[in-house]
Amino acid sequence: MLKKYYIPRLIQYFTVLFIGVTLVFVIPRLLPSNPVEHQLSRMMAQGQYLDPSAIQAIRETLEQLYGLKGGIFEQYVDYFKRLFTGDLGPSFTQFPTPVTTLIRQSLPWTLGLLLASLSISWIVGTVLGGIRVSFPRSKLARLIELLIMGVRPIPYYIVALVLLILFAFLWPIFPMSGGYRMGVKPGFNLPFILDLLRHAFLPILSMVIIEIGGWFLQMRNVASNIVEEDYVVYAEASGLPKAKIIFMYIVRNAIIPQITGFALNIGFIFGGALITEIVFAYPGMGYLLYSAILAGDYNLIMGINIFSIVGVSTAMLIVDLIYPLLDPRVRYQ
Amino acid sequence: MAILEVDNLKAYYVTQTFGRSSTVRAVDGVSFHVNKNEIYGIAGESGCGKSTLLKAISGLVKPPLQILGGEIRYNFADQQLNILDLKDEKQRRRLRGARISLIPQGSMSVLNPVRRIKKSFEDVIYAHLDVSEGEFEELVKNHLEALGLDWTVMHTYPHQLSGGMRQRVTIALSTILRPEIIFADEPTTALDVVVQRGVIQLIKKIKEEQQNTLILVTHDMSVHATLCDRLAVMYAGEIVEEGDVKSLFGSPKHPYTSMLLSSLPKIGDKSARVSAPGAPPSLANPPAGCRFHPRCPYAVDRCRQETPALRQLNETHRVACFLQEAGSMELQGRAANEQ
Ligand SMILES: Nc1ncnc2c1ncn2[C@@H]1O[C@H](COP(=O)(O)OP(=O)(O)OP(=O)(O)O)[C@@H](O)[C@H]1O
Ligand SMILES: [Mg+2]
Repeated sequence: MLKKYYIPRLIQYFTVLFIGVTLVFVIPRLLPSNPVEHQLSRMMAQGQYLDPSAIQAIRETLEQLYGLKGGIFEQYVDYFKRLFTGDLGPSFTQFPTPVTTLIRQSLPWTLGLLLASLSISWIVGTVLGGIRVSFPRSKLARLIELLIMGVRPIPYYIVALVLLILFAFLWPIFPMSGGYRMGVKPGFNLPFILDLLRHAFLPILSMVIIEIGGWFLQMRNVASNIVEEDYVVYAEASGLPKAKIIFMYIVRNAIIPQITGFALNIGFIFGGALITEIVFAYPGMGYLLYSAILAGDYNLIMGINIFSIVGVSTAMLIVDLIYPLLDPRVRYQ
Repeated sequence: MAILEVDNLKAYYVTQTFGRSSTVRAVDGVSFHVNKNEIYGIAGESGCGKSTLLKAISGLVKPPLQILGGEIRYNFADQQLNILDLKDEKQRRRLRGARISLIPQGSMSVLNPVRRIKKSFEDVIYAHLDVSEGEFEELVKNHLEALGLDWTVMHTYPHQLSGGMRQRVTIALSTILRPEIIFADEPTTALDVVVQRGVIQLIKKIKEEQQNTLILVTHDMSVHATLCDRLAVMYAGEIVEEGDVKSLFGSPKHPYTSMLLSSLPKIGDKSARVSAPGAPPSLANPPAGCRFHPRCPYAVDRCRQETPALRQLNETHRVACFLQEAGSMELQGRAANEQ
């Protein structure tokens, strides 16, 4: 089991990481614009006067800082060395703040937002999907299904904007934007936490509304196939109590793809929720990436990408590692 | 004495697609009885309603399957009941698995893949009996031993067992509570010939030991020939012939039965096996008259218009065919000549 299952997956994990991180190194270097020249021209455009020798000095300092000094191979080795010490370089736009500091500031916001919406929509969608299949004649369950299917095709940003207009503008019970109110002191105290929840409510709600549908559908489809399986028919033919059949036969088998789906989605959290964070001006990773792209902040873009790559591939590794616990058919091959 | 009596049973699949309802008349007016302690076989090609019949009589009816008429009476020693009168699903559950037991078709997948075999046994036993853990183990140990199975299978998952082993375990599980009636739906179909024989022997052994009644569905006529006391032949949702195995195999009266039997190999016969030409009709829209007439080599006008009733030929033999009715001597003679 260890040799045949876990070792190949660990090897695969590190290979994917290596390739992804290498791509992050290669792609910016293929771009026609040079970040150092970009930065220099911006300094000049701001009307600073610099004599040529000063320009040269700045250029060399910048190249040093951004890891653009020397031959391509030298840069590559240097890049990995810096990665291992946790140094992703300085941000261009908020020079000289290190990229890691910026990410560290944004990450908790995104984590909170996305973990909450992912968990809520997963739980609600899974439970409703299970109920829909277990009680096929329930009118209420059918009504809920209709509602979910009706909401699902609406584009996400419309839901977000409608919520914003309804509950922050027309009936302003929630704030329009931001992660917390200016003037409230961040810290572990009740007023701040309440303010935090008030700000997070609409963004989370907007994502939950849209994401419930996917979880509901997957659970419903998988479970309604399982209901037809011979082992469920046999359980019924053997007179098992209905609750036992629902939980230990239908749900227990249908939950496997739900759990792996959940774990995979945790990986995507590190990229942030771009549209949500823009619409609600929420200070998370998506917003950070958005402003980094607008400003051409290469180091920051690369840093966020590396975080995403590590996040997604680690999530996939976790899925592979927990799968045998969920399904004995994988465990005993 | 009849332990099970089925009277004019109609079980249809009623489905709604895009507002249009369609009805598959999978079991359409079936009557028969099964005697205590006998092995009653049900034969017929794929899709003629055998599994549906078993589901209906074991009370496993849920949409789209509906019972549209008929009676299903069980005469247990201490209790007589019509299962269609049991409106409460709980009462039916108490019956299933304990007094009547169904081994469903698809023996490879009737055990929950994520549950150890022992858990499956616990599920069934604790659903019907209030026993301690020690009593549970003793009950299962004795049963397994009687069937020649080893206790170690209890710790495995279904996918770790071979097909034959899985089927044995399923049979053990279905008979652990000594049901009075066992319905077995194609118990040997997915298995290779050698394993098939073992499984058949196992079924026979249990039946002799527990003295219960067995209803065996398979389209394999040779299994019927070796195991059954009486046999019903189904075609397109109806029983077309029924009789004790000897007379039915010896002198089949319905052309469809002859067709099924002619596909059986006989010792010393080297001629090629003819399989039945054509296919059973769609049960959503069965042909008028005798449902077999489009494939019947002896069909006459009457067969296209009237439906033959299942008539008693003699004490043990019933058939639904105009060939066998008085006044059709000429036809009968022709049939005999051609055979
Ligand atoms: N859930 C269902 N919905 C609609 N029609 C069905 C359903 N299940 C079975 N049928 C139809 O009912 C008819 C009888 O099916 P049934 O499974 O009873 O046949 P069978 O004799 O057991 O065949 P086999 O030998 O293949 O098991 C078939 O025509 C089949 O297509
Ligand atoms: Mg069948």
